[in-house]
Amino acid sequence: MDTLNQLIQGFISAGTPINLLWCLLGCTIGTAVGVLPGIGPATAVAMLLPITLKVEPTASMIFFAGIYYGAMYGGSTTSILLNTPGEAGSMVTAMEGNKMAKHGRAGAALATAAIGSFVAGTIATVVVTFFAPVVAEYAVRLGPPEYFLLMVLAFCTISAVLGQSTLRGLTALGVGLAMGLVGIDQISGQARYTFGVPEMMDGLEVVLIAVGLFAVAEAMYFVLYEARTVETQNKLSKVHMTRGEWRRSWPAWLRATAIGTPFGCIPAGGSEIPTFLSYATEKKLSKHKDEFGTTGAIEGVAGPEAANNAAITATLIPLLTLGIPTSNTTAILLGAFQNYGIQPGPQLFDKNGALVWALIASLYIGNVMLLVLNLPLVGLWVKLLKVPKSYLYAGILIFATVGVYGMRQSAFDLVLLYGIGLLGVVMRRFSFPTAPVVVGMILGPLAEAQMRNALSIGEGKWGVFVERPMSVSLLVVIVAVLLLPRLMKLRKTLKNR
Amino acid sequence: MKREQTLVGAGVLVLGVLIAAGALQISSDAGYGGVGPNFLPWVVGGLLALCGAFLVWEALTGGFRQLEAASGADSGHWPGFIWVSVGLLANAALITTLGFILSCTLCFVLAVRGFRSAEGRLDLSLRALLVDVLIGIAISAPVYWMFTQALAINLPGLTSTGWL
Repeated sequence: MDTLNQLIQGFISAGTPINLLWCLLGCTIGTAVGVLPGIGPATAVAMLLPITLKVEPTASMIFFAGIYYGAMYGGSTTSILLNTPGEAGSMVTAMEGNKMAKHGRAGAALATAAIGSFVAGTIATVVVTFFAPVVAEYAVRLGPPEYFLLMVLAFCTISAVLGQSTLRGLTALGVGLAMGLVGIDQISGQARYTFGVPEMMDGLEVVLIAVGLFAVAEAMYFVLYEARTVETQNKLSKVHMTRGEWRRSWPAWLRATAIGTPFGCIPAGGSEIPTFLSYATEKKLSKHKDEFGTTGAIEGVAGPEAANNAAITATLIPLLTLGIPTSNTTAILLGAFQNYGIQPGPQLFDKNGALVWALIASLYIGNVMLLVLNLPLVGLWVKLLKVPKSYLYAGILIFATVGVYGMRQSAFDLVLLYGIGLLGVVMRRFSFPTAPVVVGMILGPLAEAQMRNALSIGEGKWGVFVERPMSVSLLVVIVAVLLLPRLMKLRKTLKNR
Repeated sequence: MKREQTLVGAGVLVLGVLIAAGALQISSDAGYGGVGPNFLPWVVGGLLALCGAFLVWEALTGGFRQLEAASGADSGHWPGFIWVSVGLLANAALITTLGFILSCTLCFVLAVRGFRSAEGRLDLSLRALLVDVLIGIAISAPVYWMFTQALAINLPGLTSTGWL
């Protein structure tokens, strides 16, 4: 009952006209960045971080969250109509959705994507509502050793398990951790790697790294390698699903929600894995296997789209209750909390309860807004795709400048931004993942502090990490996460021999 | 490709060594904890040096593993890249003197030329210039006003009126 009362309080606070307006603005910007190629939710939130200097926390968190899940709705439009997925999470949608669009069923694909996102997003929000307080209550009992190991687990999954190559993932993590080292050490107050530049004392700005790595790098990559390719756009048909399409869609939505939600909850990051899993499940269970990869199967759109929205919403659980981000955007959201001097974690529900519940309530409201924004108004968003790429990318550079400059008023940061952009181009060209950089940079200093606190508790002995049952089980999970996929691969190769 | 991959690996290796060298200058005073502020720098330096060495080895023995072909063309379009680079760096150099709106417009115009030249339809006519300048102002001016007037966040202007 307590949860419901707090949720009602949250609705009252999120339902004020000004907060509703922020929510609508966030959902609108989110859909737009989801639709537009070259700019994603992480970049958009990062560029808008300067508003944390002036806007009060509840409003800006509602706004940022709107961008975050709004982009997942918008992303499906791009992947269905152009064969270029706007977001990593919509990659699978592009496979079937684009096939459907080629056969004149773009409208049905868009409809199942939007309604599926709504269903999955709402169910996942219910899970967040009832599950997050439980996790928070439990997490209060975790001490620095457990926290440190949880963060190590997040590092492992994001760098060594996801992605193509463990080596490149670890390299990216190392680069991120190195960026996190710059500035004043939290515990001893000593300056590290500042090279006597006063701007470096405060550390590198999250905005700078994220905008450089995503927006500027994207623009540079486009001019260098991609500007010469010509895209074709599929025709939009009436956004409508037949009764048969409804019947095929809804089981896929529910199955995908069941797949996506747990994936978001655990620190395993990203929405790629659940979307692929959901796609594979649908393909296996479908009665229309012949449509997959040929004329396009509606289940192949309904499932993955629902899975990515469920996963995205559920990533708020580790973020809010443990303070552990598992994706690029949640890492930047953590940065936004930090700008307000708020540290997400188990105490967040006690100390900033009003803010958290308003945020959760806004998720329900935002999903309804997005359904309206995306179904009847989809034609408007499609018009965004007509903006010439040259103007789009040059415009993104202006927004990048305002985000970075607005944060610290330093022209030096703009030169750094260029450098980070170059780094991003190299990383993209040689297929290094970017999420470990951002997560490593933001979580690195926190993990270091937890580790050193844990060691102080253990009077300098490393044994502190194996003395408590919870930390031992976490260690086991870390080892399992690192070894299991490799053992399974090994078994497969041995079997095939 | 092999040479480029080796360079990337070597770059990571050098970065790791530099971070380790930097760690030498950080105090190791551990206080009550078992490790001091120089511990993580050593770990990160070591990790990067190790990764760098492995990357170089991979590059020399058949290239990076599990590598999908990068999207887009095989070789870069450098003239376009230079336009964009000049735009970004000019913006960094001039933003405090020209003010946000004009400096960003200049960056916009230069970058648009870069993207167009990469697309193979560079247009250096006066008319195209005029159109691009107007569009650049139409984007940067409202952004500037939103930040300075609505959010009261300081951005540099040519004048101190907050409007230009």
